[in-house]
Amino acid sequence: MRIGGHIFMALSAVVLALPIVVVCAAALNGGRSMFFPPRDPTFARFGEFFVSEPVWTNALTNSVIVAVGAATLAVFLAWPIAYLLWSGGSRISKVLAGLGSLPFAVPPIVFGVGLGFFWAFNGGLGSVWSGVISHAILLMALPLVTISIGLQSIDRSHLDAAATMGATEQVAFRTVVLPQTIPYTISGFFFVLVLSFNEFIVIFFVSASSYATVTLQIFNSLRNGYTPTMAVAAITFLTVSILVFAAVARWGDLPRLMGADQTRK
Amino acid sequence: MTVADDLTVAKPDAPAKAKAPRLTRQGAATGALTALLVIFCVAPFLLVIAISFGRKIDGAAWVWDFTFENYQRFFVGALWPDDVTLLYLQQLGYSFYFAVIASLLAVLTALPFTLLLTRLKRSTQAIWLVFILASLSMSEVFIVMGWDILLSNNSGLPKLFQVTGLTQWLKDVGLFQTLRDIGLANPRNVRFKPSEFATILTMSYLVWPYAVILLYPALSRLDPSLSEAARTMGANRWTVTRTVTLPAIRLPLIGTSLLLFVFLLGSYVTISVFATPDKQTTAVAIYGNIRGANLNAPFGSAQAVILLVSASVCLILGQLFNRMAQAR
Repeated sequence: MRIGGHIFMALSAVVLALPIVVVCAAALNGGRSMFFPPRDPTFARFGEFFVSEPVWTNALTNSVIVAVGAATLAVFLAWPIAYLLWSGGSRISKVLAGLGSLPFAVPPIVFGVGLGFFWAFNGGLGSVWSGVISHAILLMALPLVTISIGLQSIDRSHLDAAATMGATEQVAFRTVVLPQTIPYTISGFFFVLVLSFNEFIVIFFVSASSYATVTLQIFNSLRNGYTPTMAVAAITFLTVSILVFAAVARWGDLPRLMGADQTRK
Repeated sequence: MTVADDLTVAKPDAPAKAKAPRLTRQGAATGALTALLVIFCVAPFLLVIAISFGRKIDGAAWVWDFTFENYQRFFVGALWPDDVTLLYLQQLGYSFYFAVIASLLAVLTALPFTLLLTRLKRSTQAIWLVFILASLSMSEVFIVMGWDILLSNNSGLPKLFQVTGLTQWLKDVGLFQTLRDIGLANPRNVRFKPSEFATILTMSYLVWPYAVILLYPALSRLDPSLSEAARTMGANRWTVTRTVTLPAIRLPLIGTSLLLFVFLLGSYVTISVFATPDKQTTAVAIYGNIRGANLNAPFGSAQAVILLVSASVCLILGQLFNRMAQAR
């Protein structure tokens, strides 16, 4: 039975990895079309993706701008909401948290359509900055959750101690609350970063074809057939995801962030 | 909060009131934040709802209006009552069909996996979680690309079937004809796309990591002593699963299935690549109306509203189940 369990987990891992491995291997193809296993293996596609083909380098730049911008903005939006929830738990803070999670909870195509109209009315449609804001709003729910988990982990007696020793609320915030929640804030930042990189449908409606991120560029190319350069994009994104989540696991408590029981090791 | 409250701030022995000026500032900040969130999180949805009552002008864009034409068209067709078209309802039906099967498939296979995962050491769990999160964050376009290559006729599984002689074996046993009947084979070899099989496979693959992540908290809080007690009393492993474990996680299980279902209702790339043209869904139709060839924003919005309403009903049900789960 124990062995059966291991086999099942291994099998799940294989199926989970299968399409990803295939895409990654396809990046090595020498020709213009995707074959698996790859023919005339070469690393030339990496040069095309990162350096020589403007279509891809532009798309990559846009992706990075949108992802980093959105992650920063999302953290700044989520912090006050999470703090209000934690410090007071007032009715308004719960409403705010609900509003902030709304876009993430409904099918993204509906929010994408709505944002498309929204930006069309105020002139933001097709600008990169509106893409940044759109992703920040869409993914704000993630830092909201991680920062809330971080704030809950603060021992309230530390705050009482700080208050007894004469620290004002600001000082206590700076010396007790902030340092203890930084790992969770950073985790939230990186969750948004990775998901924004990979998000497709919202940016699709918001960009209105006037600029392309990497996922958009790949979707545009899907119709003309695959090229191995697209697979390089997949490898790049996968590497970023793994690095980010490994970093979160290394310096943060990933099982706790995912909601594991605290009492068991 | 009144001015009088602000004036009493200076009293050093009134710590509760000393917070007053900060609170007003906090109040202003809260107000600004609320306004910001209402504008960005709510306004887009309100716009979709408002535009769904608009009217398309032939050969031009659309105008504001208050007509139920778009909804009528969705449910019974534009020419009602002379003629009834159920095409759009059928598309919604396919949205539900694909989403229900794919989400159930994902949850049922993720459940045993997650149970096993929570029994591992904490550090091993972290490694698995990194792997699962990485595949969870992979864009739908990459996943579709991967399965597209895997299922393609000249370099994927069909090729493998042919080379290994599996196709010949299927023909010999007579299963090949069955595959042809359900549309998974052409006269020469197996053919996996476009098909319902490919669509559902890819969709449930897409949400499988989500299923693990969503089930993980509930399963990792399961008290192992309960099933150990049942084991010591002589129950076998299967009886324990059926009588102890499953009842304890019934509600999170339903909640997770609903969330995945809602997520899949809007999936676009998978359907547009893998589903046959007669089985396209509402999400694809929304795209066609808003960005694609039809350019009928009001009708696209009406479809989006209907999708939103379906999703909200499921989400509220899911919330209820989760709350019931926490209350226990």
